[in-house]
This record gives sequence, structure tokens and C-alpha cells, in this order.
Amino acid sequence: MVWLGILFVAIFCYVPMFGIILAFKDESARQIDVMKIIFEADFVGFENFELFLADSESKNVIWNTLGLNSLMMLINFPSPILFAILISELKKPTFKRTVQTISYLPHFLSWVVFGGMVLTLINTDTGALNDFLLRLGLIKKPLEIAGDPDAFWGLIIITSLIKGVGWGSIIYLAAISGVSRDLYEAAEIDGANRFQRILHVTLPGIAPSIVTFLLLSTSGILNSSVEHILVFQNPDNISKSQVIDTMVLQYGIQKGNYQYATAIGVFKSVISCFLLIGSNFISKKLTGKGLY
Amino acid sequence: MEKRKSKLNRNNWFDYLNIAFMIIFCFITLFPLWAVLVGSFNQGLDYTFGGVYFWPRVWTLDNYYMVIADEAIWRGYIVTIGRTLLGTVTSVLFTSVVAFGMSNKLLKCRKIYYWFMMVTMFFGGGIIPYFVLLKTIGLLNNFMVYIIPSLFSVYNMIVLMTFFSQIPESLAEFARLDGAGEYRILFSIILPLSKPILATVALWSIVGHWNSYMDAMYYVTDPDLYPLQYVLMRIINKSTVPTTGIGGGTLPPGILETVTAKTISFAAIIVSTVPVLVCYPFLQKHFASGATAGAIKE
Repeated sequence: MVWLGILFVAIFCYVPMFGIILAFKDESARQIDVMKIIFEADFVGFENFELFLADSESKNVIWNTLGLNSLMMLINFPSPILFAILISELKKPTFKRTVQTISYLPHFLSWVVFGGMVLTLINTDTGALNDFLLRLGLIKKPLEIAGDPDAFWGLIIITSLIKGVGWGSIIYLAAISGVSRDLYEAAEIDGANRFQRILHVTLPGIAPSIVTFLLLSTSGILNSSVEHILVFQNPDNISKSQVIDTMVLQYGIQKGNYQYATAIGVFKSVISCFLLIGSNFISKKLTGKGLY
Repeated sequence: MEKRKSKLNRNNWFDYLNIAFMIIFCFITLFPLWAVLVGSFNQGLDYTFGGVYFWPRVWTLDNYYMVIADEAIWRGYIVTIGRTLLGTVTSVLFTSVVAFGMSNKLLKCRKIYYWFMMVTMFFGGGIIPYFVLLKTIGLLNNFMVYIIPSLFSVYNMIVLMTFFSQIPESLAEFARLDGAGEYRILFSIILPLSKPILATVALWSIVGHWNSYMDAMYYVTDPDLYPLQYVLMRIINKSTVPTTGIGGGTLPPGILETVTAKTISFAAIIVSTVPVLVCYPFLQKHFASGATAGAIKE
């Protein structure tokens, strides 16, 4: 029974690892049949990597990836925790359930659908957002949000928040409901107000889960949600919207430059690998718990 | 109505602020959906003048006529339903079989197998070698590209394995003494006892299959195999009114003069989202168990 899983993992996860060899093959060898490149093209050592690191486009792409993902971690990581605390502080059960139901809904919509809705909302000529801001007098003329490179990161962060904050809060809500009621009552008797209770009872209660998830997300700082980014990416905002993952797909699958694209992918994996080992080490020092 | 409330239950400014925030949050979440719904019932030409947010200004069903007449949508529906059903059933079964094998604590080299699979969650060859693999084994432009690569998930396997190993060992032991084989034990004892976790994993799979478009974008070029989401993405990105795949005879006369690509795409979004909205209330009870299942560590 287990052999089925071993076989699957061997074919779909371990075999592609040998494909990394593509990263060290001559970039100018173009063949429809990739196997020919793997077996026949010349080895060029780290030339593809040097090419990638020397390119000015790559610097921009690395900067985009790091910048966008760091901001995402800074904002999108704590938000579900805060949201869970706010939800747990709601007193009316029916209102609480309604808010939860509504906040989970976007998780079940695809990025195509949700992105399509957001693009409708922010449309320059017909979108409700521009009209609203114009009427409030906050802006003089309609904003071109979808085509503005400087608006792209904000757009990604906000849409990611709206789509994911509710769903992300479930796990913390479960952790909060695991915190003993006695602790809250004891804190209240001791004269703790609302914020002191949150700070000294709720947060320490869910701290272990927070550390574990933070750890998981640190090693993914170079990973982007491609399904999300591609929906909002367009030629106008490409200078801010191109990240490593979308660049790999563009060079590899659209342009057919497998060697260069693989090299970019390997570059990313190696850094992620170090980050994972590093963050695991730090977590073990700090909390005594790690991934492995 | 007015009861004496303890200090914990009295509303103060924090509660009102919290409630206000939640109402605004819910509005921001639901309004885009509403705006698209409204736009889908509005005449295309009129929509371009702007201002259609809360209620259609010029009512019409033309956008829906256009969508329903578009063959690509229906083909997309069939592909998506097909891959969701087949993909979910096969992957839940396949992953359960492996998870059951792994849940046996007497299994030889269990730790080695575990790590052999675990490692792949963090390291891999990357998307390009994966693409080359799919190309080599003939999965490009093949319906099976939606099914086979998602047959097994290490993450789901661990979730299922954790659940299976909490089922009392004695149940399987007795069945073994009675001469039942491993598959028999799995299908007649273990799986019926694991319905909640199976529902959770199936829900993840269903949502993943229904919403996926990347695999079609990169692994499929045959339009007949495009799933609904990818068809939808192409409609949204198209700036002109689609003229292909429309059964001209079934359209009301003059319709092409007033519809626009934008409002048609609204109708397409709604048509593709209705099944999700209809199923949503029924799936709700699996939410909490679903999201926390992944947190269980061995």
C-alpha cells in the first residue's frame, strides 16, 4: 500500500530533481525535444546563474519578490491573528456566525473570479471605488489602479487580505477557544481590562501556533502565489509585478528557454533551503520547537 | 429584554468599534460580488457610462444569452465537473490507501518512508523540470494532466495518517484474525470510521480542482480541454465581444449592438460562481474541522 505513495513521489517529485541538470546546460541550445538538451547540450557550469545575476531585469525581479513578500508577511501574517481576536471578542452569537460565514466565502472563489470582481470595482471609468473617492473629494481625477505599477503591491496585499484573512483566522480561533475560560475569569477578578486580557491571556495562549506558522512562512519568502499575481499582472505594471516565479514560467514555458528558467528556479530553491534551515534553527533556540 | 449583565457582557466603545469594523469588512467582502451581479443584468452599452453599482439601470438578460450561447463555457463546465469529480474521488482513495499503510506502526522502515515523502514538501526540481516530466510522459494536452499529478498529496496523507492512527488498533487486529485483507480492512472498517476527515480532505480537493486554472494555462493548448476558470480568464481578458462559439440563430435580434465584452464577462463570472454559492452553506460544517486538521502534528 505504501509503495503506491513511494512510487508516486519518486516519479513526480524525485525524477524532476534530476532535471536540475538543465540549469547547467548551454543556454543557446534550443530543441523542441528537451531530452535532447538534457543529454546532448554542452555543460557550461554556472554560466546561466551568472547571466541571471548580471541582468538588470533580474535585480528588479528579485527586489520585487523580496519586497512584495516581506510586506505580505509583515501585514498578512499578523492580520488573521488580529481578526481572530476581534471575532472572538464579538458577543452576539448570530452576528459572530454571520461575520465568520461571510469572511470565509472569498476563500472558495477562484482568483479568476475574485480578481475579476476586484478589477470591476477599481475600473477607471466604471468602477465604484473611483466614483466613491471622487464624490468624497479625496481625488481630483479617476485613478488607474490596475495599470499603475506603484499600485500593484498594494493591490496584491489588499486582495490577499480580503480573500484570506477570514479563512486564515479559523486556525487561531480554534487555538483561542482552547484557552481555558478560568484564565479569563481569573484575569478579570485581578482587575485586568479587555486589552490586558487579550495581551496577557489570549496571545500567550496562542503563541505556540503563531511561532509554528511564522516559521513555515519564512522559508517561503521567495515563493509567490502565481495564480493570484497573474490575474492582476499586465504589460503596464510589469515593472513591479514580475516576481521570480512568474519570470520562471515566462522564460521556461512561454519562451522555451528551459535552461535559463531552470537556473532561476534552482537559485530560488537554494536560498529557500538556507532560509528553512536557518529559521528552523532559530525557532529551536527560541522555543525549543522546530519543523524537524 | 434588559437583563442585568456581568461586566464581561456589557458593551463598551471597543465593542461598538469592533462591530462597526466587522460590518465594513463584510461590506467590502460582499460588495464586489454584488457589483458584478448587478453589472451582469445591466445593458452593456449603458454600463460604459458608469454609475451602475447597486442596482441595474437598464435591465437585460442579453449578457446571459451571450454566455449561454457560448459553447466554450459549457465545454469548460464539463471539463471542470469531470476533473473535480474524478480528481477528488481518485485522490482521496489513493491518498487513503497510502495513509493507511503508513498508519501501521509495525511497518518496517516507516520512518524512512515518512522522510522520503516529507522531504518533497520542501525541496523539488522546480516547475520547469516538472513541466519536462509531464511532457515526456505524455500528459501535456491530455485530460489526465488534471487527475494524475494530483492523485497524491503528502500533506493530505499526513492528515489522514494522523486520523487513522487514532482509531483503536484492536479493530483492525480482530478483522485480521478473521482473515480480512488489508484493503478489506481499510474499506470496510477504517474509511467508514473516518468520514469527517475524508469530507475535509475531499473539500480541499474539490475547491482546488474547481478553482484551478494554472495547469490548463501551461500544460494544455487544446481549447476543448480548457476548464471553466481558464475559459473565464480568457473571456475577462478579451477586450472585444466574442464572436466565436456563438450560436447565432438562438440570439435575439439586435443583441450584438448593445452587449459589451465587459458585461458578458460579468455574466460569465456569475454563471461560473453559482455552483460555489449554492454548495457553500452545505459545506460550512466542515470548515472548522477542515482548517484545523492540518495543524495536527504526528
